[in-house]
Amino acid sequence: MLSRKNIRILVEIAISDFKVRYQSSILGYVWTLIKPLLLFAVLYVVFSVFMRFPVENYQLYLLLGVIIWNFFAEATSIALRCFETKQSLITKIYFPRIIVVIASTLTSLLTFLLNMIVFFVFLAISDIPFSFNFFFMIVYILELYFIILGVSLIISALYVKFRDLSHIWDVLLQIGFWITPIIYPLTMVPEVYHRFIYLNPLARLIEYSRAIFILGHIPSPVLNLVIFLMTVVIMFVGALFFKYQEASIPENI
Amino acid sequence: MNPAVKIENLSKIFRIPHEKRDTLKENILHFHRRVHTENFQALKNINLDIQPGEFVGIIGKNGSGKSTLLKIMANIYRPTSGEISINGTISPFLELGIGFNGDLSARENVYLNGIILGLSRKEIDKKYDAIVSFADLYDFMEMKLKNFSSGMQVRLAFAIAAMIDADIYLCDEVLAVGDIDFQKKSLGTFKDLKKKGKTVVLVSHDLDAIKGFCTKTILLEKGEIVKAGDTQEVVNYYLQRSDS
Repeated sequence: MLSRKNIRILVEIAISDFKVRYQSSILGYVWTLIKPLLLFAVLYVVFSVFMRFPVENYQLYLLLGVIIWNFFAEATSIALRCFETKQSLITKIYFPRIIVVIASTLTSLLTFLLNMIVFFVFLAISDIPFSFNFFFMIVYILELYFIILGVSLIISALYVKFRDLSHIWDVLLQIGFWITPIIYPLTMVPEVYHRFIYLNPLARLIEYSRAIFILGHIPSPVLNLVIFLMTVVIMFVGALFFKYQEASIPENI
Repeated sequence: MNPAVKIENLSKIFRIPHEKRDTLKENILHFHRRVHTENFQALKNINLDIQPGEFVGIIGKNGSGKSTLLKIMANIYRPTSGEISINGTISPFLELGIGFNGDLSARENVYLNGIILGLSRKEIDKKYDAIVSFADLYDFMEMKLKNFSSGMQVRLAFAIAAMIDADIYLCDEVLAVGDIDFQKKSLGTFKDLKKKGKTVVLVSHDLDAIKGFCTKTILLEKGEIVKAGDTQEVVNYYLQRSDS
């Protein structure tokens, strides 16, 4: 799978995806930065000026949540349709189909990393001192990416058979946005619901990232093990499901 | 020597739902109603050996399974049953084209396809001029592919498929498109491939071309091989059958 040929194909498709995604818009790449920042700005005004959440450094808290959520929402929505957009390619020439999904999510990963730079600018001008704990975020970014890839493998293969999934996914993402502690602090949620919220790996990743940057500590090894296992399970299920569906994708698209 | 293509008892069945129930809503609302799927047997019990260096023609009426067979050889479709083994690298030219992305320029598409076919950027650099001059598209390489005419797209696609070094070339109806000049060029390419001893599988309705190149021909009818062997015999048999 990881032959040199396949890596070349992956890089080439990822680069062309990236070009195509932004070439026909005037501001091009700037949009990818503006979108989450605009959402952040609106939410910040509403929940920091109109209503007030008792959270220190709320702007960082909110921005991190929005950026992580936006990565998940955007990457999965685009990956969902990746075979439809690549139809002419996959019905004419053979290469491992998983490359299409990986290339699509990698393009979104790049957007996310640029958004993180914006976050670091905000972090630098805040009064939070630098800490080597920040580097632990690399682990969470990797876990986040593989969760997104695992989910994308499932929904992209399903979408080929059920076109309704694009609408269903939109609705699920809307719901997800509100049941994940993005704009509100978890402390405001009654304790009994916490275990339900923690079933959501994104809620965990968002909370743990905030712990690193804003609270200044790395979550306990047990918590890190739990999110690691969640990632492995999602990626494993995604890869297995995809392997099972892969052959029929060109026939059904 | 191992055959370049070995096909044993291969069948391909497409399941075609009578009322196409594609959306989840339809599946949920009508889950109790049985989906009437019609099994369309596109290929039935195909047995075929192609030796390295053979130039094989596939003829038959529309819908006889020629393109499906080629797509299975190209690993796009998987057979429903039976075995297929391919020995060597493949350069596919299926359904009037190769995998293009209309939003990329012609140049970028050449590189994208070359890389998927297993070349490195450097190797494509070397072939690039040959591809462009074969397709005769010097002035258009920076244009987006979606602005190409269909004839131009086919020319570029065939140029890539023909200029790439592969062991097995799969060609579906190259000769039906393009102007006279391009058809001549295509025939020239087939001559070259034959001279180089490449394995070629040619699907065509152009019986003169089939007779001119193919060392062996198979005739497909409703998904079955009804005759295979010497090109002249198979072509004559085909002509007789369609007369009667």
